[in-house]
Amino acid sequence: MSDALAPTSAGSPLPMPAGALAMRAGTVVLVLALAAVPFVLKGSWTYALGVTFANSIAVLSVSVLVRYGGEVSIGHGFFAAVGAYSVAILEQRLGVSVVLSLPVGVALGVLLGIAFAFPSRNISGIYLAVSTMALALALPELINNASDFTGGYQGLYVAKPVIPGADMGLQRYYVPLVALVAVAYALSQLRRSRQGMAMLLARTHPAAADAFGTRRVWARIAVMGVSCGIAALAGSVLAFASSTVSPSGYTLWTSIFLLVGSVVSVYGLTLPRALIGGAFLTIVPQLLSASGAWIPVMYGVALLAVILAAHFAPRLGALVRRRPGGV
Amino acid sequence: MSGFLDSLAYDLFPLVWSGIVTGCLYALGALGLVMIFKCSRVVNFSHGNVAGFAAFLVYGFSSGALMSLSWGTAVLLAVVCVVAIAFLTYALISPLIAESDLTATIATLGVGLIIQGATLLVFGADIVSLDLPVPRFSTSLLGLRITGYDLTVLSVAVVTIGTLFFVIDHTKLGIAFRAISSNPFAAEVCGLNLRRVHVFAWVVAAGLGVVGALLIVPTTFLSATTVAAFMLQAFAAAVVGGFASLPGSLIGGIMIGILMNLFTFYVSPEYSSTFLLVVILAALNVFPNGILATVSGSRV
Repeated sequence: MSDALAPTSAGSPLPMPAGALAMRAGTVVLVLALAAVPFVLKGSWTYALGVTFANSIAVLSVSVLVRYGGEVSIGHGFFAAVGAYSVAILEQRLGVSVVLSLPVGVALGVLLGIAFAFPSRNISGIYLAVSTMALALALPELINNASDFTGGYQGLYVAKPVIPGADMGLQRYYVPLVALVAVAYALSQLRRSRQGMAMLLARTHPAAADAFGTRRVWARIAVMGVSCGIAALAGSVLAFASSTVSPSGYTLWTSIFLLVGSVVSVYGLTLPRALIGGAFLTIVPQLLSASGAWIPVMYGVALLAVILAAHFAPRLGALVRRRPGGV
Repeated sequence: MSGFLDSLAYDLFPLVWSGIVTGCLYALGALGLVMIFKCSRVVNFSHGNVAGFAAFLVYGFSSGALMSLSWGTAVLLAVVCVVAIAFLTYALISPLIAESDLTATIATLGVGLIIQGATLLVFGADIVSLDLPVPRFSTSLLGLRITGYDLTVLSVAVVTIGTLFFVIDHTKLGIAFRAISSNPFAAEVCGLNLRRVHVFAWVVAAGLGVVGALLIVPTTFLSATTVAAFMLQAFAAAVVGGFASLPGSLIGGIMIGILMNLFTFYVSPEYSSTFLLVVILAALNVFPNGILATVSGSRV
């Protein structure tokens, strides 16, 4: 589609330039700082940060789809719910912890993502957006009508520790952090891998991709699979970090808000960018908890502001540069 | 066996009839989406929120919550507000349309969020009821119970859609609309004004949304999410009809109306959104370009 969606992706060649190395060093420092947070801050802060990390992963999953596929999903809440409910149901039925149920959730997410991308494989991306929206709207009624498994309105608890005996509060902080770092690292590897390049090529120059033997259908389905797998991972981690899973956490709004978070992070696939999106999704509802009606307004304004800024800022910059004395 | 046939005749025809009636409303919603999509490649995700806001405005203006006007004046005022919103939305996202339809589509979600929040802020999350001022009569024809509401919906839908198709087929603006839908670049080279046609599409779509919302609300209650949920049916209708076909969305709307009615009656009302999802996925598999698409190959 357009280059504005991928402001930075075009520039970086395979060997890493100095700027990218500095960025990577900064990310390492950031991760170390985050790892030290529980020694400084207490209880409610580490809890909120754990949820932020999980939301950041979900934001990444939406951004991957936009950046690598040029597609919008308004239904990633569904795939997050797949991961979250896998964790909760497997714990309740089989008594296993998130370590064992997380891969199951991710695998389910990948499979379902591919299954939903398949019908729209040959046609314009709006169809994917519409069918994912229908998915998000159908999700709450599916959860509530399968209440034997899902616990219906009340939802389920997730309480099994990863490391038995260790402090649960700390585990609910470190598991999301580790997952976030792992996803961000994997995405940076994907950018430099053959498969990643093939997907990007199929998105930006379909004809060239065809010539090189990358089929567009494959690219779209693969991107959706990767993205939905990450979304399911985010859901699993969120269930563990917040200790509950309930249908009210996975409505159409959830899915739209995930897209908002992705736009606010300017579709960035790096860890700091994802943190901005995740923090936005976690903090705004807390600040506005007294008047819920302002939340959609805030998100809507943020969405438009970021999109319009991304559109006009480069043009204004060019205008200023063209006149030597400035404006 | 004859008992089965009897019950079929007893249930099926009324179900199909009421399906056609609500289907016309889904078609009105779908036509609004398709109008905008055809000429600008933007899917307007704020359509349902704006239409719902309009229904709330009519309620607010006529019930005394904001003002106490007559129903007709309230509708007129609401239409003015909604046209203003449509115009503002277009003005806001028009710079994006030329750049990327995807970005513009995401921007309409932002507009939808703001309108949704505004509805909640002004009218609260309560459920209200909003009736149509139509004569309450009902008659029986060939075993069908036909109410004043049914006839109102049908006649309004026929007149609205008929007018729309006439405008698109026979007026200068309509020809410009068709030209821009089939090839925006060539149309602009020929001197057609892209913006004027876009504004026309947005304003007409908003009007169609208001008509659809006002007509659908009496069958249910009005809450901040009712009309947005009704829009899922409109989206499904647009997908079934092919997103770029106006007659397709009309047929898609009526099909969705009938299918929904049959499904909720014979299977379960609890899975209606899931059913729509299945319809959308099935339609994408079987008719990727809509039911009216002609099968065509391409030469390499």
